[in-house]
Amino acid sequence: MSIAVEANDLVKTFGNIKALNSISFTIHQGEVYGLIGPNGAGKTTTLRIVSTLILPTSGSVTVFGKDVVKQAGEVRQILSYLPDEAGAYRNLSGYEYLEFMAKLSHVNYKDVMREAAEISGLGDRLKDKAKTYSKGMKRRLLLARALMTKPRLAILDEPASGLDVIHAFHVRQIIKSYVQKQNVSVLLSSHNMLEVEYLCDRVALIDKGRIMVEGKPADLKAQYKSLNLEEVFAKVVGYV
Amino acid sequence: MFKGFRTIVLKELKELIRDPKIIVGMIVLPLIMFPVLGLVIGYAQQSAVEQVQKSTLIIVNNDGGNWSQTFLKQIQLMANPVVINNTDPQQIVNQGILTKYNSTAFIEIPAGFSQNITIHINTNSNVTGVINVYGVFQGGSIFSGISSTAIAGYATVFNRAVAPDVIATAQSTVIKGQIYHGVDTSQLSGIMLTQSIALPITIMILLTYAMQIAATSVAMEKEEKTLETLLTLPVDRFSILMGKLSSTIVVGGISAGAYTIGYNYMLSTITSGVQTGSSIDLVKLGLTPSPLGYGLLGLSLFVTLLAALALAVIMSAFSEDVRGAQALVGYMYPLIFIPSFALIYLDINSLPLVAKAILYAIPFSQPILASKAVALGDYTTAALGIVYVAVFSLVIMYIASRLFATEKILTTKLRFGKKKTSTEGVG
Repeated sequence: MSIAVEANDLVKTFGNIKALNSISFTIHQGEVYGLIGPNGAGKTTTLRIVSTLILPTSGSVTVFGKDVVKQAGEVRQILSYLPDEAGAYRNLSGYEYLEFMAKLSHVNYKDVMREAAEISGLGDRLKDKAKTYSKGMKRRLLLARALMTKPRLAILDEPASGLDVIHAFHVRQIIKSYVQKQNVSVLLSSHNMLEVEYLCDRVALIDKGRIMVEGKPADLKAQYKSLNLEEVFAKVVGYV
Repeated sequence: MFKGFRTIVLKELKELIRDPKIIVGMIVLPLIMFPVLGLVIGYAQQSAVEQVQKSTLIIVNNDGGNWSQTFLKQIQLMANPVVINNTDPQQIVNQGILTKYNSTAFIEIPAGFSQNITIHINTNSNVTGVINVYGVFQGGSIFSGISSTAIAGYATVFNRAVAPDVIATAQSTVIKGQIYHGVDTSQLSGIMLTQSIALPITIMILLTYAMQIAATSVAMEKEEKTLETLLTLPVDRFSILMGKLSSTIVVGGISAGAYTIGYNYMLSTITSGVQTGSSIDLVKLGLTPSPLGYGLLGLSLFVTLLAALALAVIMSAFSEDVRGAQALVGYMYPLIFIPSFALIYLDINSLPLVAKAILYAIPFSQPILASKAVALGDYTTAALGIVYVAVFSLVIMYIASRLFATEKILTTKLRFGKKKTSTEGVG
């Protein structure tokens, strides 16, 4: 099994704040890898470094063997990033937004539009302007955008955060089925333990810029004699 | 009714007053900008009056009669003129005598002056002595033409002393070294001023509007996090920047066209009554720009627009949201408003060196300076201005492209004199 992402001793500082403190992890091809942790733990910073948005202060990351700093342009051709709480262009319709993103991703937009429409499940509402969409519809549109180009690595930051039960369920279903069908690798962050257990093959529990523990959800629960990952996390950080 | 009104008002006031961007943009800036404008206009007025006071009155006497001597003696009671005998007025212009005496106007007592006055007095006929007043058109301020108006006053004094309407004045104007007879310098300056107000106003509207669009465009992307998505796509970041600038230029250009049409219509409505019957033809006087002049003016406007947009993009890169970007861009407005208003009222050549250097250094002055220069056939000034703003724009665009190429576009925020690196999104 080839390696999709390899991060070694990642450190990121913002002024006096050390957001990441020597983080290392590996994601295999076709694997869904989750970063779990509270707000400010360093999840989004890690995702932003892997997606070439910001530079690590030290350490290195490769995506399918390509360095995210030195070969950022090439890395951008094989990944897709879905930021937390992202929006769409308010005055573009869903179709126009997807078309715009497909063209910039250098894929034949006519080929991927049907795929995107299926992923989003928005039907005729894709003809409407994005400003008329509910939060859940917007998130489905953005997820469709992230997956329609069949990236080798999808980076999803809090993919279902803030969504109601139905929309969150739909979004998780999309990710689960799409990963199985397309054999893409996924790096996602969440503080929703249910979501992580449902989607991820392996998880890393991250706190104050450090990975505290890493493994399969079932193994971690067994190791810490816990009913769920929430309890595992509380035990790892010494809360209980 | 009005239950909770006081609580809401207090909360709103706290929100607004505690936002330093609003304090600076809406309270501090106007308190600084308008006094500065007042000083500039006051200075222009004072310098115009001083120039008249300092200049030497030149009288060309081409009449050998007694009445011309009487007229000269009358003037010598009020001023200390330089009298030049038997010279063609065009020679006065050609030989640089006006520059030598720091003068922007002169009087000619033409041949036949004394004879006409004698006829007027003896026969009580309508024949009068005429003095020719020549004013130099300098192109460009509200106080231009003040000299010729002032020296025409000597005729009034003479009439009071001798007899009503014994002499009259005929106004002529020196434009680009050529005398145009029958053209009143003050009237010409008035017409040129009316026309030259439209351009600075249009430029002010165009630049402020385009900067707002550009700043909002980038800030909206940051606020909605679409910029993050865009920056992870396999697309050249310089293309993103140029795409944003180009679309803003298109919208700004359409907006400028709409404003210009509307504003000029308003101006023509206001001034149509005033200018009816005016015999001044600007085309014949060579005071309308040539095709080259129009080209230079358009180019000047274009590079200035580019500089403004690139600046707006940089400012918005330092803001967190649309409101912040608009406030930051607002800090640039004095650099647009002050030169625009100032150059309506004053001629840049009448300013001291430091003030002149400051006005030339502000890129937003250049289209207005270019318009005044090309009207007088001075293409070099316009071209140098274009080169300067083009270099300025390139530097700013380079900085903007560097910002887009690095993580600073996402992580840096400006907080009143110090840069703060964001930790937002660490989670």
